[in-house]
Amino acid sequence: MTLAARDIEKRFEHRVVLRRASLEIHPGEIVLLRGANGSGKTTFARILATTLGADAGEVTLDGRPVRRALSASRRAIGFSGHRPLLYLGLTPIENLEFFGRLAGVPDARARGARLLSRFGLEEFSAIPMEHFSRGMLQRVGLSRALLPEPRVLILDEPYAGLDDQGSETLNALLLEARGRGAATLLVSHDREHMVSGLARTCVLRDGAVEVPA
Amino acid sequence: MTALRVLAKDLKLHARDARFLATLSLFSLSLVLILSVAFGPLFRDPAREASATLWAALFFAGVLGLTRALDLESESGGGEALRLTGADPFSVYAGKATANFLLMGALWVLLLPCASVFFDIGSLRVLPAVAGVAVLTLIGYAAWGTLFAALARGLKARELLLSILLFPTLIPLWIGAVKLTHSLWAEGSIDAVRDWVKIMVVVDVLGVALAAWLYEAIQEAEE
Repeated sequence: MTLAARDIEKRFEHRVVLRRASLEIHPGEIVLLRGANGSGKTTFARILATTLGADAGEVTLDGRPVRRALSASRRAIGFSGHRPLLYLGLTPIENLEFFGRLAGVPDARARGARLLSRFGLEEFSAIPMEHFSRGMLQRVGLSRALLPEPRVLILDEPYAGLDDQGSETLNALLLEARGRGAATLLVSHDREHMVSGLARTCVLRDGAVEVPA
Repeated sequence: MTALRVLAKDLKLHARDARFLATLSLFSLSLVLILSVAFGPLFRDPAREASATLWAALFFAGVLGLTRALDLESESGGGEALRLTGADPFSVYAGKATANFLLMGALWVLLLPCASVFFDIGSLRVLPAVAGVAVLTLIGYAAWGTLFAALARGLKARELLLSILLFPTLIPLWIGAVKLTHSLWAEGSIDAVRDWVKIMVVVDVLGVALAAWLYEAIQEAEE
């Protein structure tokens, strides 16, 4: 599934964050989006993931505007952001089962358990998450995004809070997703832990996406 | 199934939050106690005073429940993740409204015997009818409260906005609940105030219909 953003514009009150930002990610491609702090990377990622509306421009999946079939588009996209996007009063496995079932994943609990196991969270899977560390929440949040095996993955700072082992697990899962043909956008500063075999790197500068020479 | 899953999730989150449940119970019980002391010790019309006290305590304490439900959705982005599942927005609303209804129902079960004891009022004979009035009232409260809570989500002054929107809208429901409960406790029937039932049904239906129409737009407009 090809994710495309064309001429996206976004302003918050008087501050223009995105100016005709465009990007296309093809099936099986992993794209890294970099940029200075405050350059609008998170805003762009959230617009692509449909959690934020654009002032102008259009996001499409295989040429179809995501806003015209919002529910179907959201089921095709896995998103992980700065916040964990979880219910902290539930356990990790309850969260994954809940979100997985709502997203139409048939074996959500078993699949969630496998993901938690790969991230080394087996022994914490039945404990409510109020006292989880940043890294543990990040692992559960990434598991939530990866659970439905989405055809498009948008991960904003996915390596934040992860140790070496967590980063390796994430990279392995990203390569598996690429093998399934997922189009992946990584928004990250962390090039040290980054998955190998990136198709390309883009930079968000002055509100537009540039491809460095 | 979506509504049932959202309902189960909300109830589980409430049940695990002992601090919230203790605050809600203590606040509502304190209101009943304070008002019974203020009206007493010699009550002029205990049926009227008891019904006014019961419903005042429930309506005010209910805002705590709605605000807590709001916080659960926003504190770690669970509500945003819920939207991203692509689940039907009205089913999500139905699940959340039902959870709010059941929470308020549990509070009613806690407060009713206290009000009966403090005001020395009520009989088991009219209990089913009093419970019917509670169901009619709490459906409207949950329907409108869940809708307004979604509208207030993400705002800094959300508790204030919630109260400003909710209480004026629910005035017919509030008056109806007090009049019907009073009539049942004082006269054993609702014959003299039967028209309030129709008004309350209209308020309930309007709340659900408005949510069916607007909830998705409110959900998408929240950011």
